[in-house]
Amino acid sequence: MRRLLNLLNPRRQRLERDLDRELRDHLERRVADLRQAGLSEDDARRQAAIELGGVEQVQEDVRETWIWRWLEDALRDVRYAARSLRRSPAFTATAVLSLAIGIGASAALFSLVDQVLFRLLPVRDPEHLVLIDWKGNSLSDNRGTYNLMSYPICRDLQQQDRLFEGVLCRSALTVDLAAAAGERADPVRAEIVSGTYFPVLGVSAAQGRLLDAGDDGEPGAHPVVVLSHAYWLQALGGAPDVVGRRVLVNNFPMTVIGVASARFRGIDVGEVPALWIPAAMKRQATPGWDQLLERRAAWMQVLGRLRPGLTAAEAQAGLQPWFKSMLDEDTRREGFPRVSAEQRAQFLASTLVVTPAGHGHSPLRRRIDQPLQVLMAGTLLLLLLASLNVASLFLARGAARGREIRTRLALGASRRRILSLMLADSLWIALLGGSLGLVVAPLVSRGLLSFLPTEAGLALSSRVDARVFAFAFVVSVMTGVLCGLAPAWRAARVPLADWLRERTGATGGVRLRKVLVVGQLAFALVLLVGAGLFVQTLTRLVAQGPGFPTSGIVSFDLNPLRAGYAPADASRAIRSALAEVRALPAVESVSVGGLNLLSGGSWNNPMTIEGDRRFVTDRLVHMGAVSPGFFRTLGTAVIAGRDFDERDVQPPGDGSGARVAVVNQAFARRYFGSASPLGRRIGSGDRPDVKTDIEIVGVVRDFSYRNLREQSEQAFFPFGGDSPAGMFYVRVRGTPAAALASIRKAVGRVDPILPLLSVRTLDEAVDRSLTTERMLATLSGGFGIVALLLSVVGLYGVMAFVVTSQTQEIGVRMALGATRGAAVWLVIADAVAMIAAGTAIALPCLWAVRRLVEAQLFGVHAIDGPTIAGASLLLALVALAAAMLPAWRAASISPTEALRFE
Amino acid sequence: MPPSRFPIPQGTLDMLILQILSLEPLHGYAIAQRIELISKHAVQVNQGSLYPALHRLELKRWLQAEWRPSDTGREAKFYALTKAGKKQLALEKQSWERLSGAVRLIFEGGE
Repeated sequence: MRRLLNLLNPRRQRLERDLDRELRDHLERRVADLRQAGLSEDDARRQAAIELGGVEQVQEDVRETWIWRWLEDALRDVRYAARSLRRSPAFTATAVLSLAIGIGASAALFSLVDQVLFRLLPVRDPEHLVLIDWKGNSLSDNRGTYNLMSYPICRDLQQQDRLFEGVLCRSALTVDLAAAAGERADPVRAEIVSGTYFPVLGVSAAQGRLLDAGDDGEPGAHPVVVLSHAYWLQALGGAPDVVGRRVLVNNFPMTVIGVASARFRGIDVGEVPALWIPAAMKRQATPGWDQLLERRAAWMQVLGRLRPGLTAAEAQAGLQPWFKSMLDEDTRREGFPRVSAEQRAQFLASTLVVTPAGHGHSPLRRRIDQPLQVLMAGTLLLLLLASLNVASLFLARGAARGREIRTRLALGASRRRILSLMLADSLWIALLGGSLGLVVAPLVSRGLLSFLPTEAGLALSSRVDARVFAFAFVVSVMTGVLCGLAPAWRAARVPLADWLRERTGATGGVRLRKVLVVGQLAFALVLLVGAGLFVQTLTRLVAQGPGFPTSGIVSFDLNPLRAGYAPADASRAIRSALAEVRALPAVESVSVGGLNLLSGGSWNNPMTIEGDRRFVTDRLVHMGAVSPGFFRTLGTAVIAGRDFDERDVQPPGDGSGARVAVVNQAFARRYFGSASPLGRRIGSGDRPDVKTDIEIVGVVRDFSYRNLREQSEQAFFPFGGDSPAGMFYVRVRGTPAAALASIRKAVGRVDPILPLLSVRTLDEAVDRSLTTERMLATLSGGFGIVALLLSVVGLYGVMAFVVTSQTQEIGVRMALGATRGAAVWLVIADAVAMIAAGTAIALPCLWAVRRLVEAQLFGVHAIDGPTIAGASLLLALVALAAAMLPAWRAASISPTEALRFE
Repeated sequence: MPPSRFPIPQGTLDMLILQILSLEPLHGYAIAQRIELISKHAVQVNQGSLYPALHRLELKRWLQAEWRPSDTGREAKFYALTKAGKKQLALEKQSWERLSGAVRLIFEGGE
């Protein structure tokens, strides 16, 4: 009770002291009287206390009256506010809608940002999880670029139990999974994990048991898997007898030992794996690639659980002595690669970096982290703008209610009461706006998710959960207080005498409202410029394209190894499929390769070039193996030298053929300048023992490899006839859909169970590679339009109000001979001043946020003259058009009528 | 036979306080004394409920209070009637008269 009071009334301490003093005074007086009546001191005190009924009790009773009073006041304000809002539906609707837009958009963005960036992993004590990463030259083949190490190092780290309760390693991949022998295999996401994975994370089992150290021993000896709860439900219908079932992973039988708890959705945010496979079964999970025990293979992510009380920094420091000696030992190990002295020094100077990993790891996050931050900043700006709009509306309302407020003040209402009355008003509006915003938020979220890749769209939710609800509530209350603050501040600031002098209520607040409009215009301009930049980025990327005509090309992946083929059979199947597809009438040309264009991924390595002297490329070269005719199929051209031909494709089993390469223009330009690269020799890798025995035989025109933005140096090699898997590129006649049907049949003639994986047209691939840009352009465009409308409505409101309240003055001026033009100018000059001020404020803001957006742009800079000029012009024109309405009304005021006004 | 001293009926304490204070500002203890004195000790003020009532009336802005020296020289919290308090007292007096008039009518009519 006392604490509640303290919270509600900052003046309570004084009240309490006062009450205490008053009651003591009462007792003293009573005691004095009783003593005069002849009682002894002690008796008098006892008697007085009894009569009063106990000081504590009285204090408690008085406090209760205080609380009741406060609650009654609050309740009355809330009821009164609700009634008065109901009486002005237009005002209420405008204000609520403004806020609903702002709060709805920001709640939707928050929901995604929260899921992708903020939420901790659903595991035991996620804040103790750390990522352990190699910093320096690990001399590994480049299998992915991010924080990857080898399985043996993970096993070594597990011995560091002084620092870690446990260490796990994992690698995400795709496998073909068939729920039972004879059933169709589908590609699914999976994780290869160490036996420590589940124990260290502290995940529990929904069915059976999870993997543990006992399932990760002798390579190949543990054919067991754990299914994810989502896969168990969706693909197996939640079958109760799932434990003990045999499933086929890449056509290799493995036994299901359990299902993980429903809460655990994997470590990669936005990607729920279907199953977990012990690292010991790597050879079966990644057919054709077994480097489980290879110390230089970097393919697993290593996470540790810190011992209680240790920080990531302490663990990092604690690891270094051991790591140094391990590096040293590694250089003396059998199989350590031949490297230059420089590379050896780099290797020995490597360190381990330990960083908190409680939020998990996510390729999705890496990709949309920055765009989401940009959008979050945009929505907050929009929310602020909406709040300013509502604040301005409240000021106008406060002015219209001047008479009511005057009456209340005259009747003895305190300033505090008036203030709380006004806050009750704006809180109502804000909470209504917030509730409506929560209705809108899931729609906005769904719209946002539709921009993301399908897998991520499925893993993220547009549902309003408790956190989003809390966010919307807090934001509503904050905007409510903010919106109510301006008019309340004004009400409290104007001296009582001025209030009573009638006129104040009518003209007051205009200056403050103009300031708010200036702020709105400034925010709107920032959002408009942002929209302009992102729309240009998208249109420039689309106009540029990937450098070859994408329409009419379909691509798909064939991987017979994952269907259980032996390597020799697999390469034979690839060759047969190529021949079958080539023979189809709907196929103009077909080519197969080891590269997945426009997917965001690439095979890249430094290369060694034998030019006038031997040197290593300063950047990673993107590489790809392609069959003869690949460039023709894409529709790009070999501009010097020749394409690959059948001679370059080595016969299976014979590694002695001439080794050749085709490089792109960018490669030729960067490393050979104006000289011809034809006939020069190159080799893959940067070690001193790299053989430069590959001859450049052709130069091909530049085209996009990973995505549309990147200009990269590329080198292509002949796709060998012995490759056990390949990505097919087919230029088709007629519609891709019809052609695909015949292609499926053709591949089916090779083997009916061989699935076509990652089927897509290259148009789709281009589309998908632009999802982020499209999301930014669409949303920022939407924000820009809404911001423009809100700020213009604000400007119109103020000017209309000014004209109404100055009708008399304008009328008098016109009666004295002022022209209509002067009346119009009176309004337009104000509007121009506000627009100019808004622009002046927006420019430094743009400068301040340029770094946030720069990385998302293409072909245009964050500070772009034409864009800023265009956006300013648009804002000025629309704002002036809005100001013309009241200006026109001012001009049509007739002096006689104006003087009759009021 | 009626008891020698009445407890104050529920709800009438507020009205009595307003009435007493309409004569002159007084502190809490004096208000209780004054009520007993004027009623010739016929009514007895429960001192425990006096202070909540005073604070309630103050919060309703019918009374205002200030600390100033009393006749004994010690500071005491003096309550005085506000304009709104005077209005309220008039209202309550009116309704009390109507109520007691009605009660009398009923008693007389019943005889």
